[in-house]
Amino acid sequence: MIQFNYIAAFFLICLGFYTIVTKYNLVKTVIGMSVMDYGVNLLIISVGYTPGGTAPVFTAGELTRASYFVDPVPQALTLTSIVIGACVTAMSMSLVVRLHESYGTLDTREIRRLRG
Amino acid sequence: MNLTNMMDYHHYPIYAVMVLFLGAFLVAAGGARHSKNPDNPAGARAWIALCATGLSLLFLVLLVKPVMLGGETIAYWMGMRGIAGGYAIGIALEVDALSLFFALLIATAVFVSAIYSIRYMVHDECVPQYYVLYCLLAGGVLGLVLSGDVFNMFVMVEILTFAAVALTAFRTKVYGALEAAFKYLVVGCMGSTAILTGVILLYAQYHTLNLAQLASLIPGSMNDATKLAFAFLYIGFSTKAFIVPFHPLAADAHGAAPASISVLISGVLTKSGIYAIIRLTWFLFQTMELGSMQFMLVFVGSASMFVCVTMALAQHDFKRLLAYHSISQIGYVLTAVGLSSALGVSAGLYHAMNHTLFKGLLFLAAGAVLHETGTTDLGRLGGLSKKMPHTTVLFLIGAFSISGIPPFNGFASKWMIYQATYQRAVETNNIGFLLATVIALVTSTLTLASFVKVTQSVFFGQLPAEYENVKEVPFGMRLAMGILAALCVLTGLFPNTVTSVLTEPAARAVASVGEYISAMGFKSALPTPELSFAHVGVWAPIKWLLLLCIALLALTIASLAGKYDRVSAPQEEKTDTKYQLFYGGERSVYSQVGGGDLFWGFKHNWRHYFDFMHNLHSGVVNDYALWAVIALALAIVYMMIAL
Repeated sequence: MIQFNYIAAFFLICLGFYTIVTKYNLVKTVIGMSVMDYGVNLLIISVGYTPGGTAPVFTAGELTRASYFVDPVPQALTLTSIVIGACVTAMSMSLVVRLHESYGTLDTREIRRLRG
Repeated sequence: MNLTNMMDYHHYPIYAVMVLFLGAFLVAAGGARHSKNPDNPAGARAWIALCATGLSLLFLVLLVKPVMLGGETIAYWMGMRGIAGGYAIGIALEVDALSLFFALLIATAVFVSAIYSIRYMVHDECVPQYYVLYCLLAGGVLGLVLSGDVFNMFVMVEILTFAAVALTAFRTKVYGALEAAFKYLVVGCMGSTAILTGVILLYAQYHTLNLAQLASLIPGSMNDATKLAFAFLYIGFSTKAFIVPFHPLAADAHGAAPASISVLISGVLTKSGIYAIIRLTWFLFQTMELGSMQFMLVFVGSASMFVCVTMALAQHDFKRLLAYHSISQIGYVLTAVGLSSALGVSAGLYHAMNHTLFKGLLFLAAGAVLHETGTTDLGRLGGLSKKMPHTTVLFLIGAFSISGIPPFNGFASKWMIYQATYQRAVETNNIGFLLATVIALVTSTLTLASFVKVTQSVFFGQLPAEYENVKEVPFGMRLAMGILAALCVLTGLFPNTVTSVLTEPAARAVASVGEYISAMGFKSALPTPELSFAHVGVWAPIKWLLLLCIALLALTIASLAGKYDRVSAPQEEKTDTKYQLFYGGERSVYSQVGGGDLFWGFKHNWRHYFDFMHNLHSGVVNDYALWAVIALALAIVYMMIAL
């Protein structure tokens, strides 16, 4: 039932958006960004799925017309996306730490020196 | 591979990108220690970065002959892995005149800003790391515009977003730098996620990531998933171009980032977003014949123009004000491109180029002021023309250009944009295009007003006592500004050369999607259309220059001959008699109008609007994220209905 994957993926993306928009804690904002990323990763991996397919690991000799495997491209894309997601989390958390040092709060409503 | 083979110009695009990433690697390998030279703390690492950007520019300039003049489209498969079984399996670079046009802009801005950085960054900590990020940012943007692969575009977007966020927060002690970087990261990340979602939805439908192949497959087989992908991609790239409703991020980021990075954010990042939007709407989905798409781009463009120029009027910070103007000018570009006429695209690209030049110049001038005085607060600055005459002249060239005063380059492109919008209004009998013309004109006026205010409050008027010892900036920084100023004047004086060598080939490339597809080895039945760039192009810039010189001469003579009182105002009386000159009717010799008050009456009449806008741009990251989500939702609904 691959449809559930798609529903779950978009649910996670929307949940991420919801968290970023409604939560006023910087750490929760970062969590929201991660959730959003996971949603996209799930979406990518679901796109490449074929029911009953094997892992796309073959040597040149083994590969025949009859080989039946899942699409390898989305898996490569997911890896890239996971790496980027980890970087985003690391970077945003380091910013959160520095923000907490200089503002003394994690509330987004108080971190608004730049406005207008 | 022998040397002649390696120096074949088909390899130049990848060299141009790789040399920047290699530069980043070499700078990083050089370690983080500051050298002993106080004038250049990064030592040889700064020169490596400069050489990398210079080489990258050189490779791209060498491509002008075959691509711009010869009309060739370079299709380059990485690792020689091309098409197998009708599907693109390798990663491709595809350089047509449009890509090259944007790449040239980017490489020029990056190179000039690198020259400027060497002397500008001397007071900072961790300068070597600055050059690492700088090269990464430049490589990311260049990779984005030269790429022929939609996933590769996403990767480059992430690289440039990361480098840009890190550079925004680079001066961590600057007021609001961390905050600006965090906001940019959150909304930028939502944008990147939207791009990735769009990419993957396209892959699910068409099983390819190659731009040319997608362009050959998508039109005619649009379904709801494709439309959804389009909406996601459009919003994702909008966050990179900072067009409405993502403009507050640009303002925050520009204000906090070092000036040399503001040049890249305004001149380079926004261009990459605009480039991607052109690729999406014209190439990938080929929807620009539709009135609904034209409406969307013209509407968003006009909204960006007007909203940002009014936001700029209310600013008190030099760089923040410039940032809003930057997005306002991007609005012009988007409006012109959205007209879907040959003249419109050519005008839009011309303005994109001019925007990079004059905005870069203005940001560098702002950086020069910051470098010498330590502030960008318009209320505290004044009278710097006596101390920094060269910077003042260079700033004035930039200010004249952005305000569209002939014979500078802003006039040439804005003139074309007015004509293009009006031409479309006449052709289609549509009141909307006429309105766009009016908004463009009004915006130009407000831009001029705003720059009168900036010039008055920074360079003229009373010099505050604390800046008595301010000096002119070092030669390296003036050189960078001088290059941009010279380009501003040259592109303004010879508009016909610019259009025939740069913008018209690029506009032709935008219209000939079929060639883009077939150059990559895919089938396309799309014809190459005949284009007309005809417009009332009878401006004579040289005559305008003479007129400007005569007017300036007359002004000088008049002010010298008249009772020009050289008495300077004492500081303490400034506050009391501020408005009397305009409102009291009293004779007041010693009054100086403060920078923010030059358009006091105008701002008073519009106070409800300004208050509303001020409250709307609340500075809370949740609000900006909400705008992003709303924009995404609206885009999805609009695409579903309109396409």
